[in-house]
Amino acid sequence: MNRRRFPWLSYLLVVTGAVVTVVPFLDMVMTSFKGPGEAGTLPYRFLPRALDLSNYRAAVDQLDLPLLFRNSVVATALITGSVLLTSSLAGYALAKLRFPGRDFVFRLVLSTMMFPPFLFFVPHFLILVHWPLAGGNDLLGRGGAGLTVSIVALAMPFLVNGFGIFLTRQFMIAIPDEVLEAARIDGAGEFAVWWRIVVPQTKPVVVTLALLTFVDAWNEYIWALLVSTADPDVMTLPVGIQLLQDHVDPARTMPVVMAGLVLSVLPVLTLFLLLQKHYIRGVMLSGLK
Amino acid sequence: MVNTLAPETTRRAPHSRRAAVGAVDGRGRARRRQTVVAYLFLAPALLFFAVFLILPLGFALLLSLSRWTGFDLGDIDPVGLDNFTGLLADGSTFLTPVLTNTLLFALGTVALALAGSVLVATCIDKLRFQGLWRTLYFLPIVTTVVAVGNVWKYMYEPGGLVNGVLNALGLGSVAFLQDPDTALPAVVVVQAWASVGSAILVLTAGLKSIPGSYYEAAALDGAGPGTVFRRITLPLLRPSLLFVCVTQFLTGLQSFALIIVMTKGGPGDATNVAALEMYRQAFSHGDWGTASAAAFVLFAVVLAVTLAQLWFFRRTGEDA
Amino acid sequence: MTPVRRTGGPRPATRPPGLSRRHFALALPSALLASGCAAPHQGTGRPGDPIVLTLLSHYASGELKAALQGPVDEWNATHDRVKVRTTAVEFTDLLTTFMVRQAAGQGADILHPYCLWNGQLVRAGVLRPAPAEHAEEIRRGYREAAVGAASVGGRVYGYPTEVQTYALYYNKRLLREAGADGPPGTWRELEETAHRTARRDRYGNTLVQGLGLSTYDDSTTVGQTLALLNAAGGRFVSADGRTTAVDSAAGRAVFDLEHRLVTEGASTPGVNVYQAFPSGQVAMVVSAGWWTGSLKSLMGAGYRDVGVAPVPVRKAGDRHATLCTGFMLGVNTASRFPREAWEFLRWLNTGKAGVKGAARGATATRMSALQVSVGSLTGRADDMRALLGTGGDPNQRPFLDALAYAVPEPNVPGAQQAKSLLRKNIEALWTGQQSVDETLRTTRRQVDQEMARSW
Repeated sequence: MNRRRFPWLSYLLVVTGAVVTVVPFLDMVMTSFKGPGEAGTLPYRFLPRALDLSNYRAAVDQLDLPLLFRNSVVATALITGSVLLTSSLAGYALAKLRFPGRDFVFRLVLSTMMFPPFLFFVPHFLILVHWPLAGGNDLLGRGGAGLTVSIVALAMPFLVNGFGIFLTRQFMIAIPDEVLEAARIDGAGEFAVWWRIVVPQTKPVVVTLALLTFVDAWNEYIWALLVSTADPDVMTLPVGIQLLQDHVDPARTMPVVMAGLVLSVLPVLTLFLLLQKHYIRGVMLSGLK
Repeated sequence: MVNTLAPETTRRAPHSRRAAVGAVDGRGRARRRQTVVAYLFLAPALLFFAVFLILPLGFALLLSLSRWTGFDLGDIDPVGLDNFTGLLADGSTFLTPVLTNTLLFALGTVALALAGSVLVATCIDKLRFQGLWRTLYFLPIVTTVVAVGNVWKYMYEPGGLVNGVLNALGLGSVAFLQDPDTALPAVVVVQAWASVGSAILVLTAGLKSIPGSYYEAAALDGAGPGTVFRRITLPLLRPSLLFVCVTQFLTGLQSFALIIVMTKGGPGDATNVAALEMYRQAFSHGDWGTASAAAFVLFAVVLAVTLAQLWFFRRTGEDA
Repeated sequence: MTPVRRTGGPRPATRPPGLSRRHFALALPSALLASGCAAPHQGTGRPGDPIVLTLLSHYASGELKAALQGPVDEWNATHDRVKVRTTAVEFTDLLTTFMVRQAAGQGADILHPYCLWNGQLVRAGVLRPAPAEHAEEIRRGYREAAVGAASVGGRVYGYPTEVQTYALYYNKRLLREAGADGPPGTWRELEETAHRTARRDRYGNTLVQGLGLSTYDDSTTVGQTLALLNAAGGRFVSADGRTTAVDSAAGRAVFDLEHRLVTEGASTPGVNVYQAFPSGQVAMVVSAGWWTGSLKSLMGAGYRDVGVAPVPVRKAGDRHATLCTGFMLGVNTASRFPREAWEFLRWLNTGKAGVKGAARGATATRMSALQVSVGSLTGRADDMRALLGTGGDPNQRPFLDALAYAVPEPNVPGAQQAKSLLRKNIEALWTGQQSVDETLRTTRRQVDQEMARSW
């Protein structure tokens, strides 16, 4: 499009929208520095009177941050690693191997994206509880707590992702068959072909998928809330901070919660800002499915 | 299923070098081998879908037709359609207000997010630093719902930012989340605020795929910006719009994390939605049957709404 | 199309990648399975190791946590074979935690449920009936309301612990400034005082609520209303527990009163009274006895402005009545050490110890001492007399007096759902979504539908 005039109206709109988007984040940061009796009082003030770090100290005191961070990191790592691995393996089979039932499997993968997560909440929990031979259960899944008392419970329902398989497959289709054939003639098995040729070529989609999965896993709340209710030892950061509200002296709750939120949001925001190109491409790709 | 094929990998043909006969024969063997290999590659995913998709669906269906207190698998007591009739009975709160809230929540979110994202995406397209703007709009998406919910909950309070702005403009305070007339719209605004970024991205991609020659031709014909938007941009953007619409609606119908954080469904049932009601029935009241039935009712609604949208977009597509 | 080339032609007989590939495919699920098996499973007492009983309550923070830990430490110091470990969650999460942990096979040995849930917990098979000798002891030692709350279908399920009665808290300074000489005794005085004390700024922000009505949670919203309903001679649920009785003259009177207070600006239901009252933004509020303890620590010197009076009655000379709620300590059906658990409960709830600072020779149970130390009561009248005998906080007196006339909260199965439904209707009334008539009608229809469900 040719720009005839400077697009004042567009700028006005976009900047206003951007301010509305960013101000809540700033308000979060500002509130986290407000001292006792400063937040929530009338009239409202945006800026804190002084940089009061006591809220951060309180958040660190009240929260078992090492435990929460560890759980969040382990669950996120498990999910991301597993999604990448299974998506790449299955995506390769669906894109580059010929076998009976391929269309059926592909359609199955597509259909998994259709089922909303809430449908699985109750049965997933019960399946983890009755997981055979885990957490004190017998072979029929009775008698113990199953997987609900283990940190893998946080990750289990998210280990494979239909969209991840789909995305990788779409990307792998573009790899020329001749390259793979040449490797096969050289005596490479399918695993070697996948590992040495396909995986390196799919780095961009892997990075994208990794980011999408990481952000979702790090921010997951509802499932983690349920699992942490069964076993507080596997509590993640979002759940811990939400609980913080009940523990703190009411007059100071909000600033302390905001301080905890700043701490928990920082890793993701940093990662996003560093790698946003890849992430944004992933969201765009998801729009093309 | 996969394992029964496994022994075939070990069977290797001794005469595979025989070209004339082997062409057909070898192709069969190669195909068999590739089948086995393919299913090995697919095994983790298929195993997962069996345990975490098909099994749970069956389990949920069974529970929706049973009474169960949730502790002993032997105690599952089939009751037919009782759970469904109970949900839809007179005096039950599930249809109104819970299900109507769910639809209003989804509808409001889609309307706001769509309007906002179409506006901003078309404007961004004319500006410099497009990446910067998109990044800013994208921040809420990578932020945990606990942060989004709490920050807005605090901003809606009497001493919070939103009322601070209202008071500065000389307007009275509004108890956004405490007043049932404003609670649902207030939560809808937050959900839309949080999802507008990804809609902008998808729409931007759609805008970029519209050939510039169309706009040039329109400019030669002397069409104004309004006409260009209506006649060229909107119709060619239809696939992206459909995608945004369908996905936002899906998300809107099933999300309740934001509501748990901000209002826990209150005041009263003003912001109670179907997925939250399901969660409560199961995990607070121990009524797993009703919870599963509620999940299936909501699933039916989700399917119906999605199909209706696809049908609508296809029909209007043919008209254009 | 299958390539004509011999795809897998001259392969060596054994190739490491072929092997590792298969291992690889199996590695993920088996690794997960293995890590699942390795999940810690607590409480497997080897012979010789002490038995560890877990106790789950909502005494999660502050002085409540410390108060419970005291006697538990004492038990652990004096008993070698059976140890007790406390765990706690906030009250709002307590029922969900019971249900989820029970479903996950993680239920604690000893539970401290809100008596309202007893019907649901018994129906779900979570609570174990008290053995005969304990049931006998409970029936003998506690007031009738407390025993009734700890029983389901005539069977006793636990030792009543905390008992809460409801009364009217008021801010003496705000009342004095508004020209009221003392706390209201009748509903007419209550309404007058509420109007006199309420204040707003020019933006409509509430500075002072006359009568604090709060939508904070089920117990707050419903507790306030039911206390007034009981004071007017009404009941929430019929005696047989099958239908609601709120659609009555008394019910209408309560809803009318609350509706007037809200529409005329003397009450602002959106405000969290637990924060607003201590900071002087609420003149009067109906609440339970436990609050004296937390107000004292929260307000410091400001606590001298706090007064407590019985819930006002409709007309001068009416009989006093109010709501009574409570908790009890029961034993999980899934506990592997029920006998030990009941023994501990008997020690905690009936074993007497000397009372510090009271008349010489006065004794009280550890539980009564614990509850009084945090500003609450138990259903043991003798203990309460000994503990509150002289001195102490005069604000606790009205709550103790109320034990004689308070109406216990119903604990039929579905009581929690019924309470949630009532709460939603009250909130709809307070916020002007429903008229008084609609509220009475919808509450009756919804609660009856819930109670009538076949179980």
